[in-house]
Amino acid sequence: MERISEYLQKEACLMELKATTKEEAIRELSGHMARVGLVNDEQQFIQDLIEREKLGSTGIGHKVAIPHAPTQSVDGFVIGFARSSAGVDFAAMDGDEVNLIFAMGTNPQELSLYLQMLSQLSRLLRNETFRNELIHTAKTPEDVINLFKKFEKEG
Amino acid sequence: MPIKNIMVAVAGGAASIITAKYAIYLARVMSSKLTAVYVVNERLLQDLMRSRVVVDIEARVYEKDLEEQGKLFLERIKKAAETKKVEFESVVLRGLVHEEIIKKAQDTGTCLLVMGNPREITSRKEVFSDEGELLFREAKCPVVIVKNPEEVEKLYKEIT
Repeated sequence: MERISEYLQKEACLMELKATTKEEAIRELSGHMARVGLVNDEQQFIQDLIEREKLGSTGIGHKVAIPHAPTQSVDGFVIGFARSSAGVDFAAMDGDEVNLIFAMGTNPQELSLYLQMLSQLSRLLRNETFRNELIHTAKTPEDVINLFKKFEKEG
Repeated sequence: MPIKNIMVAVAGGAASIITAKYAIYLARVMSSKLTAVYVVNERLLQDLMRSRVVVDIEARVYEKDLEEQGKLFLERIKKAAETKKVEFESVVLRGLVHEEIIKKAQDTGTCLLVMGNPREITSRKEVFSDEGELLFREAKCPVVIVKNPEEVEKLYKEIT
C-alpha cells in the first residue's frame, strides 16, 4: 500500500481557496492542478468531477470534501489539496461548510491505487486532531505534507 | 521434495509484471505448474461505501472495472508463461486480498508463493492492515519476495 504523502506534491496545495460554492471550488482547485502540470485537460477533469458529484456530494462531513473521479485527463493518479478559511458550501452530508478539499483523479490503469488512496485519505481524515491541524496549524504546503507524514506514521 | 505448484499474487501494474516474470522463471526451472491470482479487493470498496466516500452505483462500476483489469492482466501473464513453456492457470477472486490468496494457495496445494516486495512499514497499524504484509506473514507456505527487477529481467530472458 502506498501513502498519500508520496503523491501529494507541495505545488498541488492551495492554502487559501477563494471559491465559496462547490462548483467554483472544483474549478479553482482543478485549474491549480492543471497549472502545476498534474492535469492535462482541465475542462475534462472539471467535467468528470462535477459528473461524479451528481451521484451524491463528496462532502463527507467534518468539514471535508473529496471530489474524485477516474478520468482520461490525467496520466496516472493525481491529488490536489485546497483549504478554505471561509468555508465552501459543498452540500456536505452533515450540512456544514467545508474547509478541506482534496481533489483526486486517476486514469483507468491506476484504478486500484486510486481506490487505496481514497481509502487511506478518508481514514486519516477521521482523526479530528489531523483535521484541526490541517485547518488551523498548517501555514505552508510543506506543513501540509509534513502533517500527512506525521499522521501516516502514527497510523 | 519437488515444488509442484507455484502461486504468484499479482495486483496489476509494472511491479506485478516483474513479480510474474520471476514466478515464470521459477516455474520453468523447477518444472512446476504456475497459478496466477488477482483479487478484487471487495473489502476496500465496502469500507469506502461505509465511509460514504463512494456511493453504491460508483462502487459497482469500480468493482467491474477492477475485475476486467485483473482479467486483462492475467491474460498478459498467461501469454508470457506460454512463451516460456510453463503450465499455467489463472484465477480472479473477490474479497479480502490476503485471505483469498492464502485460501486459494491451500486449496491448490501451493508449495511456494511468489509476491512483490511489500512496502516499508512505518506504523504499528500498518503491520495489521497492509495486505502485502499480512499475506507475507500469514501465508502457510514458503514465500518468495521478488526484488531487483534488472536481475529478474536477465533471468527471464535466459529461459527460452
